This record gives sequence, C-alpha cells and structure tokens, in this order.
Amino acid sequence: MEISIVHLQILAAILFALGMAAAVGRRNIFFVLMGVELMLNAVNLSFLSWSRTFVGRGAMEGQVAPLFTIAIAATEACIGLAMVLMIFRNRESLDSDDFSRMKE
Amino acid sequence: MIAQVYFALFALVAVLCGSALVFARHPLNGAMALIGTMVSLAGIYALIQSPFLATLQILVYAGAIMMLVVFVIMVLNCAKDSSTPRLDLIGAAAILPAAAFGLLVAGVVGRAPILASPETPRGTVEAIAATLFPSQGNSAYPILFLAVGLLLLTAIVGAVLLAKRRLESLKTPEGEH
Repeated sequence: MEISIVHLQILAAILFALGMAAAVGRRNIFFVLMGVELMLNAVNLSFLSWSRTFVGRGAMEGQVAPLFTIAIAATEACIGLAMVLMIFRNRESLDSDDFSRMKE
Repeated sequence: MIAQVYFALFALVAVLCGSALVFARHPLNGAMALIGTMVSLAGIYALIQSPFLATLQILVYAGAIMMLVVFVIMVLNCAKDSSTPRLDLIGAAAILPAAAFGLLVAGVVGRAPILASPETPRGTVEAIAATLFPSQGNSAYPILFLAVGLLLLTAIVGAVLLAKRRLESLKTPEGEH
C-alpha cells in the first residue's frame, strides 16, 4: 500500500509553516537558525514526494535536488553559527532585537 | 497498511517535535526537538523509497549540522538568554501568517488529485549516482557537484575567518608590505 502524496505534501506544508513561525516569531537567534533548517527539511520532503509522481528521469531529478539542498543547509549552518559566535562576542546577547546597529 | 501506520507515527512525531521547536524555552530543548523531527523525516524518506536520502538525512542533518548547532549552543551556554521572552506580542502575531500559509497550502494540495506513479524507480545510491554522473550525454550535474564542493570549501574558510578571535594575527609577513 502506497503512502498518499497528498498526505506527504500536507505534512511538508505543516512543517514549513512551523519552521516559518520559529524563524519569524522567535527572538532567540538559535531558534531563527533552526527554523530555517526546518523549512529546508520541509522543502526536501516536498521534493521527494513530488518525485514519486514522475516516471523515469523526472523522478531522479526530484531525488537529486535534495542532495544540493542538504549541502546548502550545511553551508548555511556553518556560516550562520560562525556569525552568531562573532555577534555574541561583540554584543553579549542572543536576542535578535539587539542586533540592530545598522538601523541606528 | 503497515507503511501507513509507520507514516502516521513518523508524521505525528515530526509535527509534535516541530511545534516543540516553536514553543521551547531553552535553545537546547529546541535543538533536541529538531533532531527528533529530522530523524522521523528520515524514516518517512525511507518509507517513500528513498533509502539514500534517508541515510544522508541522518548522517548530515541529524549528525553533522545538529551536532554543530548543539555544540555552539553549549559553547555560548545561553545563561543570559533566560531573560529573552519566548514569544512576545510581535512574535505571536508572526505565527498567524505562518499558520495561514500552512492552512492555505494544505487546503489547496489536499483537494488536488495527485496520485503516486507505481513504476517510479527507487532512489538508491546507484540510481542517484547514474543521474549525477551520467556515462553518456550532457548533464549539468557534474558541474553543479563541483560548485557545491567549492561552496563548502568557501564556507569552511569563511566560518574560520568569522569565528576567529583576532583578525590581526592572520596577517602574514609578506601580506603586510
């Protein structure tokens, strides 16, 4: 018995919305970063489940795209955490409302 | 039937852990919840015939990326962060558009007549490798693969430069004059 694509897409939409809520709504910078990771995960799930609807080459395109997304996510986590370390040294804070020097 | 039971379990764990990420108090709790989401997503990938991506999800996401996040959270120790409110009024208001987005997409996709194709190939290592590096014909994927390698190298150098304490010590003698 095959898992329905519609259910997979609904799960991906729910996870994307949760990630968006964490990335936009939370003030702690770690939750912002982790929310972005959750959004990337939801998009990966969407790619994989759409690839189940294709036959032949299209199916494999949907399997390869998450590979690149995972590489981009690793890069983003690496650079983002280095920036958090640097900002924390300058500001002694993890509240993203404190990182507003460009506004002043 | 058994696959659908597993899917329901994994989906429940993923959604519960995802909402725990939104409402967690300490970043370490949020990171643990995110690891739960990623592991259950790996289970779902394995259920929808993508064993290679499921392995990669656990290796790279739950293993490498979340290890890095937990490590940095522990280094910064977050002692000062207990004063940061979990969700202030603006943050709670930002949940509303996110929920509206999720409901809209889920509502639209839920009505669409999408059917899985029964003869879709499994996403095994061999099949993905044959797509990434085809033995004949032109493909952009090998160039993209090299570009990703270059991007990762750049990210490593950039992260070292950013997280380094004193940039002055980087200057080499021949770089100074």
